[in-house]
Amino acid sequence: MIQRTVSIGNELGLHARAAARFVKLASQFESDVKLCRLGNNESLDGKSILGILLMAAVKGTRFQITFDGCDEELAAKAIVKLIEDRFGEEK
Amino acid sequence: MAEKENFKTVSELYRVKARDLGLRLAGGVNGLENRIDSPRTQKLALALAGYTDYLRSGRVQFLGRTEMNFLNRLEEADRKEACRRPFLLDLSCIVVTSGLEPPQELREYARQFSVPILLTNVVSTRALDEISEYLEEELAPTTSIHGVLMEVLGLGVLLMGKSGVGKSESGLELVLRGHRLVSDDMVNIKRLGTERLVGAGPDFLRFHMELRGLGIINIRDLFGISSVSLQKQIDLAIELVRWRDRSEGDRVGFEEREYQLLDTSVPLMTLPVASGRNVATLVEVAVRIHMLKKQGYEPGAEFINQLEKKMRLARDEQA
Repeated sequence: MIQRTVSIGNELGLHARAAARFVKLASQFESDVKLCRLGNNESLDGKSILGILLMAAVKGTRFQITFDGCDEELAAKAIVKLIEDRFGEEK
Repeated sequence: MAEKENFKTVSELYRVKARDLGLRLAGGVNGLENRIDSPRTQKLALALAGYTDYLRSGRVQFLGRTEMNFLNRLEEADRKEACRRPFLLDLSCIVVTSGLEPPQELREYARQFSVPILLTNVVSTRALDEISEYLEEELAPTTSIHGVLMEVLGLGVLLMGKSGVGKSESGLELVLRGHRLVSDDMVNIKRLGTERLVGAGPDFLRFHMELRGLGIINIRDLFGISSVSLQKQIDLAIELVRWRDRSEGDRVGFEEREYQLLDTSVPLMTLPVASGRNVATLVEVAVRIHMLKKQGYEPGAEFINQLEKKMRLARDEQA
């Protein structure tokens, strides 16, 4: 199991398109991907778009992502990169 | 899955119930932010007489006609002492019922110890019922889980399983068969009483579903009002697993398993999912089996009984 703490850096936050990218990428891995907003102990499935949209995470929101499964390292690397790259958005 | 610690403040109770019970605030205003963390209520009776061990802070205290009659019979000094006793503990608030006027001494201590006094014209039994019912509902332990809650043949069925196993697709198939969607993806569950589990969707997601290839759809818009339900008691949990994750599963119908949550449980069935298996059909039949079981009829056991009978006859003939 791997845990990573990330912060949403793109201007628009986790809006629909960004959330779709996240879910699409997470679904490519075997591992379970769970998200948990810092300071809140409810965890969400990273492979389900409704849960992620429900968070309505704006820029600066920090959360912890837990990766658990046979390809957890690859999953962690790819997803953290997606967030750090601001979902491929310019700002 | 996470349990939350729940409480209501006295001011919330006051705001919500002010109209129903005609509540009026009569002192102890500084204590409006006191916490109520239990739906159980108490009567002050014995505490006024000197026995205070049973009092719990965080519960609503009631003072009714019995208590008032008792206080009125006391001499002034004794009454003062009687009124002080309950305040040795951090009380949340005191509700004075039946339109009674609390004694001056009680008001004085309530102010001093910041314990709000709420007056109502309603009699104790009704006020008690109303307030405990409200608190029971509001203070119910809650949790949220990843799954789909459906109403199938009138029963609440929680579909669980890893993402991609086909929970939403099965839910949609069930809707097409005339069953109802309560919530897709995320289900907020609260426990009412000691064992009733009631699930509903988060407001924001209400009646929406996400289906790969179709995107986010609104079930009520597509299928009408009878295809959805706001909340539902959970009667059965069904876990969907990929066939290879669990090749066996129950082959006869004997296994009795339970899904534990919020310190209670619901019957649990596990259905292996594979291409060629119509999960919605299996879910619907699982619900029918559950209904039979509830009435004391075990389809699998019945079959085995017949088998045993047949074998016994065969043995007898041999002998």
